[in-house]
Amino acid sequence: MFRFIVRRLLITIPTILVVISITWVLIKLAPGNFYSGEKQLPPAIEKAIREKYGLDKPWYQQYGKTMWGIVRLDFGTSLRYQGQSVNTIIKRSLPVSAAVGILAYLLALVVGVTAGSIAALKQNTKWDYGSMALAMLGISVPNFVLGPILVLIFSLSLYWLPPSRWEGFPSRNLVLPVLTLSALYMAYIARLTRAGMLEVLRSDYIRTARAKGLSERDVVIRHALRGGLMPVVSYTGPALAFLLTGTVVVERIFALPGLGNYFIQASLNRDEPLIIGIVAFIAITLLLMNLLVDIAYAYLDPRVRYQ
Amino acid sequence: MSSGKFRQILGLVLLASLACSSYSCTVASSNEEFFGSTTPPQRNIFRYVTGDEPESLDPAISNGQPEARLYMALFEGLVEYNPKTLNPEPALAERWHKNNDSSEFTFHLRTNGRWSNGDPIDANDFVYTFRRNLAKETASRNVYLMAYIKYAQDYNQQRVFVRDPKTGEFLLARDFSEDLPPEPLAGFPIDPAKSEYLPDPNETTPDADTAFHQQMHTPARLTLPGDEKSRAKLLGANAGLKAAVEGKEFVKVAAEDIGVEAVDKYTVRISLVQQAPFFLGLLAHQVFRAVPRKAVEQFGTKWALAEHIVSCGPFKVKAWKPYDQLVLERDPMYWDAANVKLDELYFYPILDNSTVMNMYKVGELDAMYNHAVPNAWLHIMRTKKDYMNRAEAAIEYLIINTTKPPLNNTKVRKAFNLAINKEAYAEWRRIVKPLTAFTPEGMFAGYEQPKGATFNAAEARRLLGEAGYPVAQNSDGSFSCPTFPVGDVEFIYNSQAANKAVAEWFQAQWKQNLGITIPLRNMEWKTFLEAKEKLDFKGFARGSWGADYMDPFTFLSLFYTGGESGTGWEDPKYIKMLDEANRTLDEKQRYHLLAEAEKYLIENQPIIPIDSPSVNWMKKPYVKGMYPNPGSLFPWKYVYIERDRAKWDYGMPSLDAE
Repeated sequence: MFRFIVRRLLITIPTILVVISITWVLIKLAPGNFYSGEKQLPPAIEKAIREKYGLDKPWYQQYGKTMWGIVRLDFGTSLRYQGQSVNTIIKRSLPVSAAVGILAYLLALVVGVTAGSIAALKQNTKWDYGSMALAMLGISVPNFVLGPILVLIFSLSLYWLPPSRWEGFPSRNLVLPVLTLSALYMAYIARLTRAGMLEVLRSDYIRTARAKGLSERDVVIRHALRGGLMPVVSYTGPALAFLLTGTVVVERIFALPGLGNYFIQASLNRDEPLIIGIVAFIAITLLLMNLLVDIAYAYLDPRVRYQ
Repeated sequence: MSSGKFRQILGLVLLASLACSSYSCTVASSNEEFFGSTTPPQRNIFRYVTGDEPESLDPAISNGQPEARLYMALFEGLVEYNPKTLNPEPALAERWHKNNDSSEFTFHLRTNGRWSNGDPIDANDFVYTFRRNLAKETASRNVYLMAYIKYAQDYNQQRVFVRDPKTGEFLLARDFSEDLPPEPLAGFPIDPAKSEYLPDPNETTPDADTAFHQQMHTPARLTLPGDEKSRAKLLGANAGLKAAVEGKEFVKVAAEDIGVEAVDKYTVRISLVQQAPFFLGLLAHQVFRAVPRKAVEQFGTKWALAEHIVSCGPFKVKAWKPYDQLVLERDPMYWDAANVKLDELYFYPILDNSTVMNMYKVGELDAMYNHAVPNAWLHIMRTKKDYMNRAEAAIEYLIINTTKPPLNNTKVRKAFNLAINKEAYAEWRRIVKPLTAFTPEGMFAGYEQPKGATFNAAEARRLLGEAGYPVAQNSDGSFSCPTFPVGDVEFIYNSQAANKAVAEWFQAQWKQNLGITIPLRNMEWKTFLEAKEKLDFKGFARGSWGADYMDPFTFLSLFYTGGESGTGWEDPKYIKMLDEANRTLDEKQRYHLLAEAEKYLIENQPIIPIDSPSVNWMKKPYVKGMYPNPGSLFPWKYVYIERDRAKWDYGMPSLDAE
């Protein structure tokens, strides 16, 4: 087990460096600069700006500087937001994205697993069709539609909840973004749970459990759920990584100061250090989450063993 | 159709109908005078969205309007914008006077100006500010506005003077260039017999004459590029210059050479390199606002972060959570703190316009930035009494790449201009006025704006025929122009739903009136800017310009140096016309000459003028002291919350002086 983790971590490092390098090349290929605007700058001023930020150096020096920073986990200073270091920006905006993301995922997990289990246990009844229809709706309606509709109903018509902005954790402002964000995951988890449960419920060990005379509750909770949730577990890794690191659309609609918002703005602003920093951060999170999922597998499924 | 797909569609239909029904019951059926809540905030505060997250709170850095409004709360310059007219008003300078040809300005500072840390503000603070913002290391994007100050540009570009080591004398610019404009008064030795300044009844004592002042009053010195390579290149191309420079030494233009002087503790004198009658209006711009020397020198680029910032405006930073909120509070050290009405200002950086509108409706915002009202909402918002739409000091136009055929032909450019029905366009856009010239119509009092050509499709077809692309009428009444090289022309715009509709509108006009279908191409914003900057596009690009100061020259100077207009059009005659206008002392005559230059510009048609927009924002009726002025710039100290309903604004507040 230990050797497995070490090996996986070692593979992670070159993966991240490759991701960063590709990102770096893409940024360099993209036209435009962080300083360009509607008002075109005289060449002399442009030259001064390029020199100040080291953009006049040869490409290998710039690349080397970026990579050396990544190795030391120092992502440098934002080009657009003067004097703000990328590390500070990530540190500041991560908790916002994480709070919304984790809440959304927890909600999705509770509702999704419940709905999925009910659908599986009462297959081909109105319970099954009802929850699966809702799940289909959740998957089909994009969050940039759902978000404004929720705002329209709960903020602008009923005046129950604030329409946007971050007011810390916990607050009423979180309700709508969390609902919007979790809808898709909720629906997905419900479908995964249903499919997993259906398969498990027909397997031999469940029949054995029933034959032993266990109550239906014990069969479902102790045996069926544990096996039926395996697909959900493997889905959790990447899903949680994406939710943690922010979701562009929801953060924009609800004006949340999260990482996703910074990511899209950094790309639009050609803010190279900030883009690189956030990409590196997301890549690391994603790889770590996948590793955690693999470890969790070993505990949940007795058939899986790592060498 | 699979049942899954059917369910999907059913779901969407259900949702859409739900959305429509709730939308209509919230917006359409409400016949209220105002949009949404009119309950003032509990505390004496003002909540505003100024646009995107500010780049920096350092007034030298950003050239954006969202930041300009923030800087107006935090920093003050020699002068400040009038809340209604945007004309310069006393701020840290309590009075000023200028010489007879607007080439030298003297400012008398108030003695009670203070930084937010309590330190006094004096003339040296302004000298430092100007030098620091012009320093190459500051890399300010706004320094082009400071270029009128003597040797400012030379210092910024690190150029060198040429000095004779034997005599110590400098080479003069006028000896090496024939078409240099004559020196302004500030470039001549001071002659006491000739009164350079008009007698001013407010000034009891004349300003001190100093050695620096004497030095400024000499003809402009010659400057050459600072780096060897470009200097060698320049000298290689000019044999006479090369001979003159032989055996001379190069002296770097220093910060101390810039024409800004602390005459005494509370007097600042600014000497210009040319006559600039508009200079005073320029001085309220952010790049001229005082920055704190101690903080800047101690913290470098981090000085404007919340933990280090020292400010000098009516408000100071209380808390700054980037992309969340910037909270400013009244600065008790501010010289006019007693007249600052609000306790706190909240700035929320919000990008999504619908989100801004939502927050405004539920009463979490008291006003919003210009053009925050989305197009789709206009027809409802325009009926509300809290909607602001007075004339804006801005223009929208099409940039033409005049360097590539067929649009290098003026006749073709004119034809494309004539084929657009701008009246119809303005009607369709709702909040714009058709424009035929290059300055916003009726914006500058006393300025007789030239009238450009209006819609004339027949004339357009005739011109196109003259240029070698005859337009034929088809049997169904439509037109076609088979010889026109459509592949060499395109229309580029930055990706945005509103821009797409506009591009399609022009495309349809040209198709209808000329029988030419110009291909459209959308681009991501920065890609679009780069294409424009490098003239890397064929045909047309969308352009717009907002005034930096309230003078027609802020628009006309766009073509002063050809490289920056995005058209490739450069004409020495046009530049001469502008120079001559700015040298003219009589204001009326100057405006007349500027108008002639504008006429010349539109005759050459490097651009197609489209419209002058109106401001497009909303403020709650209880917000007073905030006016829909042409630049959407608000001196925050005048803004207050009125709790007496009888004194509210029911409609747009007037811009006339009270």
